[in-house]
Amino acid sequence: MQQQLLIVTGKGGVGKSAVAAALAIEAARRGRKVLAIGMVEKRGLAAHLGVETLTYEIGEVRPGIFAMGIERPAALDEYLRIVLRVPKLSRIGPVARAFDALASAAPGIRETVTMGKVLFETRTNNWDLVVADAPPSGAIGSHIRAPKTVSELVGAGKVREQTKWMSDLMADRTRTGLVMVTLAEELPTIETAETLDWIANEELISVAEVITNRILEPLGAKVPVDVSSPMGAAAALHDGIFHEQQKWLAELPGRGRALPYLFGVTGPVEVAERLADVLEPR
Amino acid sequence: MNGPILVTGAGGVGKTTVSAALGVAAAQAGYETLVLTVDPARRLATALGLDALHNVPTANEKLPTLWAAMLDSEASWDQIARSHAPPEAADRLVNSEFFHAITRHFPASQSYAAAEAMAQHLDERRWDVVIVDTPPASGGIEFFTAPNELTNLVGGRLFRWLTGGAIPGRRELFNVAARPALRIVDIALGSDLLERVGAFLFDLRTTYDGLRKRSQDIEKYFRRSTTIVVTTSDPAPVAEAARFFKELPQVARPPAAIVFNRTLPASWEEAEIPSDATRALARNLALWAREAHRQETVRDEFAARYRTSIVSIPWKPTAPTDLTSLADLIKDTGLVADLVGS
Repeated sequence: MQQQLLIVTGKGGVGKSAVAAALAIEAARRGRKVLAIGMVEKRGLAAHLGVETLTYEIGEVRPGIFAMGIERPAALDEYLRIVLRVPKLSRIGPVARAFDALASAAPGIRETVTMGKVLFETRTNNWDLVVADAPPSGAIGSHIRAPKTVSELVGAGKVREQTKWMSDLMADRTRTGLVMVTLAEELPTIETAETLDWIANEELISVAEVITNRILEPLGAKVPVDVSSPMGAAAALHDGIFHEQQKWLAELPGRGRALPYLFGVTGPVEVAERLADVLEPR
Repeated sequence: MNGPILVTGAGGVGKTTVSAALGVAAAQAGYETLVLTVDPARRLATALGLDALHNVPTANEKLPTLWAAMLDSEASWDQIARSHAPPEAADRLVNSEFFHAITRHFPASQSYAAAEAMAQHLDERRWDVVIVDTPPASGGIEFFTAPNELTNLVGGRLFRWLTGGAIPGRRELFNVAARPALRIVDIALGSDLLERVGAFLFDLRTTYDGLRKRSQDIEKYFRRSTTIVVTTSDPAPVAEAARFFKELPQVARPPAAIVFNRTLPASWEEAEIPSDATRALARNLALWAREAHRQETVRDEFAARYRTSIVSIPWKPTAPTDLTSLADLIKDTGLVADLVGS
């Protein structure tokens, strides 16, 4: 993946934060300067990068990997200053409250501020790669569509003027790509297919890769006859899951790399590092 | 009547399946049972007798004591507007793009709609057991705090401040110039949007008294509820489960049990790999032994930290798709007797 911005999404529970961290780690190992951003839910990405929390302040969390989490008041302050050229406010409070009240009701505005930060960091060219741990696929549409929603909703104002470069950067397939993480199970497969359909229809962003997670290798033997023994039962379970997974993989359009099920791995950092090992180009 | 059984946990751990299994088992034990579910897999929905999106409870043809209904968040919200706002304001609300934005994007929106649907069904007093498969939350005990949060949003300072007064129903133009903060918002978004949102917020605020009263009803049900937390043995959902155990006592009784879904038998840890196994088979079996060990460690650590009963549901390659296999899933766990048995 050659893009400068990877937006990582997937159904809840598929391991998208782990994959986002792994993509960051793998790129950093190749000497690239990486920024990892937790867009809404930051705990998962923080854990996989081995830090307690992610704040709005960008900090180096591992060699070559910088990370931050988006906090809305801070993002809004910066957005108003940098994007809208409003002078630095002595008290962001009242403006933030007014903005928040409006943004609770007006679709696209919150998401534009959040996406705005991600796109802005990409545009600075300070980073070889920006990896955004995005909201789950059920909520990704409103973020991807945010600049367009705002330009349709808001007749005037500076926010509207700022939506064009955002849309352009997001739509530029050489710079921005969406990474869909999924499992070879029924609900994630269905949700992934639906999201991919939506992406194809809206033409707002290109899909960089569909990564399937927790995939088993073939058992490598016939299932022993005696499935009542522990090892027979283990073999039968492995074989059963393997075939179930193959069935769902066949239904998944345009899938890319498969990441293995990590047996016996306990810590979130180890998970991200092991996945990064697999993501390494041979 | 018992309070509701609330099934919580992180996304993707099998909450819906566990809710359905509990429902089947309770119904088979003779209780009139309602399962209120969010987003079942197609085959699971069919097993429950839900052929279409249906927020009206439907009895199962094969098991008439089992009723199921699916959460239709959008329909619930229209109903919420209609029951709490005066007719004209309600009409404007349900047709407003801003109303749909709030109901779709307010973080706890789906949680509130589910809680409201739960309360409606409990109000009817038709069922002995009501099981709620709680919607995916942005984390923690959102399902329990959603009613209060929504009431606070609608009636709170944020919107009051923007609408300029506490008395809804009357349209005022914003005095933009008088408020420096709004002037900046005006530059950013334009006056037209400010006015439209303002008019909408006036209508929304008419729901406040109704919402507040309703939240209190819902919270009464929460206090009588029994919560179980579902998880797998993976680090992320276990961390989420731990948050439930920490936070739930603030709003309701502590969880009655934690259900570890996709569990491997502890006996696999010590099992011997057959001497005639191929290299690939031996390697895979060693991995499963290691995984069984890891899982047991996770369960032991959880048990040591939170004094709660631990229920293990075995890992099956395929999800259950009929009533029998659903009931089998929790048959040996004693969960139903614990939760609904007198």
